[in-house]
Amino acid sequence: MNHPDTVRCWRCSHEHPPALFCPACQAIQVLPSQIDYFRVLGIPRRPVVNEAELTRRYYDLSRRLHPDLYQTGTAEEKEASLKNTALLNRAYRTLRDLPERGQYWLELQGERLGKDNNRVPAELADLVFEVQEKLAEVREARVAGKDTAVQTELEQIRADLNEQLASLRRALAKNLAQWESDRQAPELLRNLKNLLSEIAYLRTLSRDVEKESEIQWNV
Amino acid sequence: MERIVGIDLGTTNSLIAFIDEDTPRVIPDPQTGDPLLPSVVAFLADGCTLVGQPAKELVTEQPLTTIQSVKRFMGLGMEHVTGDDHRRYRFADSQGIVRFTVHGRQYTPPEISALILCSLRERAEAYLQESIHKVVITVPAYFNDSQRQATKDAGKLAGLEVIRLLNEPTAASLAYGLDKKEEGLIAVYDLGGGTFDISILRLHTGIFEVLSTNGDTRLGGDDIDQRLAERFLLAGLPEALQHDPRVLSSAQQTAEAAKRALSTAEGTRLVLDIPDQGVHISHTLTRREMEDAIADIIARTLAPCHQALKDAGLSPRDIEAVVLVGGATRMPLVRQRVGEFFGRTPLADLNPDEVVALGAAVQADTLSGRRRDMLLLDVVPLSLGIETMGGVMSRLIERNTTIPASVKEMFTTAVDDQTAVDVHVLQGERELAQDCRSLARFKIPIEPQPAGVPRVEVTFLVDANGILNVTATDLRTGRERSVEVKPSYGLTDREIERLLEESIDFAEEDVTRRLLIEARTEADTMLHATEKALRHHASLLAEGEEIPLLAAVQALQEARAGEDYNHIRDLIDALSEATTPFAQRIMDTSIQEALGQKRLSEL
Repeated sequence: MNHPDTVRCWRCSHEHPPALFCPACQAIQVLPSQIDYFRVLGIPRRPVVNEAELTRRYYDLSRRLHPDLYQTGTAEEKEASLKNTALLNRAYRTLRDLPERGQYWLELQGERLGKDNNRVPAELADLVFEVQEKLAEVREARVAGKDTAVQTELEQIRADLNEQLASLRRALAKNLAQWESDRQAPELLRNLKNLLSEIAYLRTLSRDVEKESEIQWNV
Repeated sequence: MERIVGIDLGTTNSLIAFIDEDTPRVIPDPQTGDPLLPSVVAFLADGCTLVGQPAKELVTEQPLTTIQSVKRFMGLGMEHVTGDDHRRYRFADSQGIVRFTVHGRQYTPPEISALILCSLRERAEAYLQESIHKVVITVPAYFNDSQRQATKDAGKLAGLEVIRLLNEPTAASLAYGLDKKEEGLIAVYDLGGGTFDISILRLHTGIFEVLSTNGDTRLGGDDIDQRLAERFLLAGLPEALQHDPRVLSSAQQTAEAAKRALSTAEGTRLVLDIPDQGVHISHTLTRREMEDAIADIIARTLAPCHQALKDAGLSPRDIEAVVLVGGATRMPLVRQRVGEFFGRTPLADLNPDEVVALGAAVQADTLSGRRRDMLLLDVVPLSLGIETMGGVMSRLIERNTTIPASVKEMFTTAVDDQTAVDVHVLQGERELAQDCRSLARFKIPIEPQPAGVPRVEVTFLVDANGILNVTATDLRTGRERSVEVKPSYGLTDREIERLLEESIDFAEEDVTRRLLIEARTEADTMLHATEKALRHHASLLAEGEEIPLLAAVQALQEARAGEDYNHIRDLIDALSEATTPFAQRIMDTSIQEALGQKRLSEL
């Protein structure tokens, strides 16, 4: 994630480190798109964030950058406002969500989740198998017109998945907190990767279950 | 600072509002004082168009050429047109963008909406005594990209600069927030004439942050009217009459009036009387009967409410205030159902018909730079993505992402020397491309290279209007490449240009036609008077006066048959001059007669 050390203000040509506003003339600047999300939001680059502060920073920056406030501005100002706000929104969306932030943190370390991300993680095999089987039952029951049975089954599956997700998230939060003191431990990295793929997998599964329940009230 | 006004371009009614010394105000019709402009356009046989109340009055008389609820067709393709629509209107094609056929001419929904916008603009210009160019137009939050684009096109066709498309529930929250200085979590339930929206917002120190939105762009008061018409008026009629456009539109109007009455009364009379078709129906409808007949329509609004809450990670009890918007929320059953769902009595202190327009005016004030104390953070209502291998929808921007939002995708080639990559943009929540809405297709031009070598980065940016913009950059050359996006259900830029040119031509043609009609009318009056004078007062003609006078009459008659209004005017003047002495003599004589044969000079 390299970005230039200094940039030149489009209005007054002042050279400065990348910033939202030119330190010399205060004109809004387009941030280099490679800049990291922590810098966009102006918070410490750490895998654990203070959520209240994150939201406060997001609101403050929105109040200064949003395109609504540059409607009467020049073409350069409008473009900078649009691009920066899009970047700010993406940064906030990523950092406020624990698994997203974890994944982003890995990317910042030059790590990626492997291509075999779609394979069922070993620890989840039993649960996944059970859920798939139950979903099949639910579909059959629906065809047979046993709607109340379907409803109870779905509720049960949902509860199981949510419980599992919650415990994985707790483990993820703990691992991310450890990262601060124990920066490069290969075991920590492996743990983090496993947790993230498990969460990603469960989220997809959970989406399937939600879809099934949406069919319920869409009828 | 140029003024920006707010427009609520509604399915049933449209409004225009402005900020009058910090207070948003709706501009009423100068004649009737009515703040609502019925969103109805009537095309007359002589080529003129009527908008608003006069058009609405023609609905039952000329249903095929009077277009109602055009908003329901914005950004849609012919495959979305229902059987009922086909019974009600004539359409030009069986596929592609919707085009109405009226008096042998074709009109797209944006063109018809543009006529409504022009009418609102005239209203505002007359009231404010200044010309209006810039507007904020509201759209249902759940409008997809094509529907938004169509609304923007309507603005362009009306000669307006659309500064912002604003989501209707968000606009309503602005009007409420302004009023109440609310903080906390609110839900805006907006049931309009043709669309339903639910938005969940967090209000915090002047920031209006939309957490989630959901809805149905084909669910509204119109559906209720139609149900009542079918169940209580049309059901007893012979099949042929049930499909008759005049019977259908009368039944719908009767149903609408009954629905309104039943918001306050417990019972009303339904009367459908079309003597020349032998239709006479009259019976009593109680509120209870109506509610039983439409309960399922109201129930359909609750699924989106449920989904929006879930997407925001909230439960109904978390909501601290529920705001009702849209005329249909006046129905007691709606209030009851919404109240039950959220477990609290909904707020309806602002006029549900006006609140969206008022909010649009507030946002226009911010956009014009006058106001900086409130800020809207809105979301994209439906996921955006592209079609990938095997016809799968690959989501790039998830629904309920705060806008502006952007995402970059890398594209490369699959075979050697490929010169373009085709991209198919989709919107929707389904897994397969075929189940999502096709928004547009475009080609990324690529310089011939071995397969996999070219690297083109495509940026998908959803702007603050909720409209998608696409740019492509060739990473090898660093050159930005323009992509021409072909909308699946919209007008191309070229088509808009052509329509704009035509509308200018038509405007000229309209003026010409009007001047010609006026000149002919005046010529008729003149010819008639001259002929009468010659018949009754031939004795008063001076020597040698008759021949040039008859020549002038004949010349005017010939000119009248032609199309040149200037020529007609010239000859009216010529005839008037030729008859002046004669007319003077007639006048003198009449006065003399009246005064008992006294000469003028004696008076």
